[in-house]
Amino acid sequence: MELFGNLGSAFVALLDWQTLLVMVVGCILGILGGAMPGISPSTAVALLVPFSYSMDARLALILLVCIYQGANYGGSITAVLINTPGTPAAAATCFDGYPLTQQGKAGKGLGTALLASCIGGAFGALILIFFCVPLARAALKFSPAAYFGLAIFGLATIASMGGGNVVKSIVAVLLGLLITTIGLDPISGAYRFTLGSDMLYDGFAIIPALMGLFAVSVVFEKVEKWTGLDRTMDKIDNKLLSFEELWKIKGCILQSSIIGTIIGIFPGAGGTIASFVSYDVARRTSKEPEKFGKGALEGVAASEAANSSSVGGALIPLLALGIPGSATDAVLIGAFILHDLVPGPLLFRDHPVIVYGIFASVLVANLLVLLIGLYGNRAFIKMVSVSDAVLFPFILVVALIGTYSVNNSLFEMGSCIGFGILGWILKRYGYTNSHSLFCRWRPCRFSTR
Amino acid sequence: MKKIFCLIVLIIELVLLSFSPAQAKFPERPINIVVYLKPGGAGDIFARRFDKIAAKYTDAKFVVMNKPGAGGLVALTYIVSGKPDGYNLAYVTKSNIAQFADADAKIKIDDLDWLAMLVSDPESLIVQKTSPIRTLDQIVTDAKAKKGAQLWVGPAAGGNDHIMARKTWRALGIEAKWVPFESGEEAMVNLMGGHGIVYVGNPGDVTGRPDLENAVISAPKRLGGDVWGRIPTFKELGVRGLDEEIMWRGFAVKKGIPEEARKFYVDLITKVSNDPQWRKYIEDEGADPVFYRDDKFKGLIKEDHKDFVEALKMLRTK
Repeated sequence: MELFGNLGSAFVALLDWQTLLVMVVGCILGILGGAMPGISPSTAVALLVPFSYSMDARLALILLVCIYQGANYGGSITAVLINTPGTPAAAATCFDGYPLTQQGKAGKGLGTALLASCIGGAFGALILIFFCVPLARAALKFSPAAYFGLAIFGLATIASMGGGNVVKSIVAVLLGLLITTIGLDPISGAYRFTLGSDMLYDGFAIIPALMGLFAVSVVFEKVEKWTGLDRTMDKIDNKLLSFEELWKIKGCILQSSIIGTIIGIFPGAGGTIASFVSYDVARRTSKEPEKFGKGALEGVAASEAANSSSVGGALIPLLALGIPGSATDAVLIGAFILHDLVPGPLLFRDHPVIVYGIFASVLVANLLVLLIGLYGNRAFIKMVSVSDAVLFPFILVVALIGTYSVNNSLFEMGSCIGFGILGWILKRYGYTNSHSLFCRWRPCRFSTR
Repeated sequence: MKKIFCLIVLIIELVLLSFSPAQAKFPERPINIVVYLKPGGAGDIFARRFDKIAAKYTDAKFVVMNKPGAGGLVALTYIVSGKPDGYNLAYVTKSNIAQFADADAKIKIDDLDWLAMLVSDPESLIVQKTSPIRTLDQIVTDAKAKKGAQLWVGPAAGGNDHIMARKTWRALGIEAKWVPFESGEEAMVNLMGGHGIVYVGNPGDVTGRPDLENAVISAPKRLGGDVWGRIPTFKELGVRGLDEEIMWRGFAVKKGIPEEARKFYVDLITKVSNDPQWRKYIEDEGADPVFYRDDKFKGLIKEDHKDFVEALKMLRTK
């Protein structure tokens, strides 16, 4: 009952104009950051950490949590519209989101992504509020062997997503594994295939691979098939999702939210794995699995519900154990410490106002994201109404700038183009799941000392 | 006439400006504190706290610049290949010395001017509070019973904590297995889950994690304060040769920065290191606020370098 009392006062505290303003600003910044390729949720939060120093600790953390939640939705906007995942976790959203846009149903894609994100996010928040401690304890029981099992499961999932040709799917996955062997061996510290170059010391980074395989490869494909006729999209249906359509995918959203939350809890997993696993499960359990990859609303919903619900899940180990559940959590830990707070179970005892403030704000942030998204979608959708001659060069530029912005590295821009060529060639020769190349990239790395 | 007067005034002003205290010229623009870790990491917090305290003593502006990658090599290379104008202050730790230990390393220890070491964080063995193996004696007994199969967890192989583990095994006359994780936090999760017996880290790692406790620390004497003062040292438990195994943090710049810039840094760092709030930050984390310069700091670096070279050799031949 103490929980409800604390939670009640936390909600009341949110009604203050300053807090509300901070939350709205946080959600907007998060959505915009998430939508910008190259700015992942952890980067978006990290960029705002210095701004939060001068703020009161509760407000600062609420701001950062809202950015985190907003960014996980924001990634879907560019994924759906231009096949460029704004965040790694939105990669699986491309599979069905972009086909929807190509069919002129961008509104449906964005609407599904928005609703699924908010419902998933709220689900994750509720689990966080009510089952924080016991779930964190259970997650500890997972041994390294179990994590290895999860990784194999993930690989198998991705291999099976190629559809038609199983051999080609497996080849693509193995190629991905081979590429990821490049770099410093985490166990022995040996340099593997770095060719004496510092650039390859960490192997290929995830963002250039993501941008290359998704966005740049599509541009190349377009160039190859260019007819010289500049054709604008005939008709864009900017109608968002109807209630019946939402009702049809309710089971899928719920199932994906559960998967996302659970995977979020495991320290080190995070939104990207969550969205891939949930997408695969949705395809297997769907009544119309043949529609997946060709613009199924369920596919978009599965990916988005999972990556948004993973936010609540990932906060569980952070608050209950003081262990980051995702890369963004690692940044949040820094913010806690800079405000002289120690993340972990003692927070509940020593600073309940902050803990319950975070709980309440995660929940409310989803509502705000929904409102902002409904309004913003009408504007975003105009992005695809420009002619291809403008849109595709624009995609290329955005992908390259996004890649460059991560580490200000020209090498990474080059590797982005390299991955683009690779992705284009693979797709051309029937390796339909060329995206699986990036499966082995660990979607999140903790900050190290 | 008026024009000439104006001209004279202008000339006088210019002359005065050029005479105005030459020493105070540095810094003329914001200084970058280059951190080799991502935002939110220990180094990031260290740099931002330094910025906060430094503001009490100087008007100079600091900008924390995160340059993560390649185990610190990206940041170090950035410093070394930059101009020696003094506007890039590098946050350095003992872990960075590993980057110089490789025979093929493109950067040398002498490329940097190691300004000062500010924190000495004793290495410690951390165990689970609910585990039946909690004290050093129990660890030794269990290790002997398991004949080398006892699991020790920690961050990357060949790093500082791994070197500490190997030294400890040698000093205690036991054998155990090192299980490296991508980060210390990940290793601690596994300790909490009971998938290892000992985690090698620093006393402050247990902060906010009531499941964990320090079994023993490597320091010449016990730490100060109620919380940290309870932890025994290796020395008092009768183990020799582990009196000062530490993780250190400090600052460095590219060698050859202007004298006035160097003087500015030494003055400022001296003031910050004596600041009570700064000292409290460090003490609260179970570390020791120190101020080592020149020969003392460089001597330490030379020794660490030797340790890392040896560790690397061991890893590569295995």
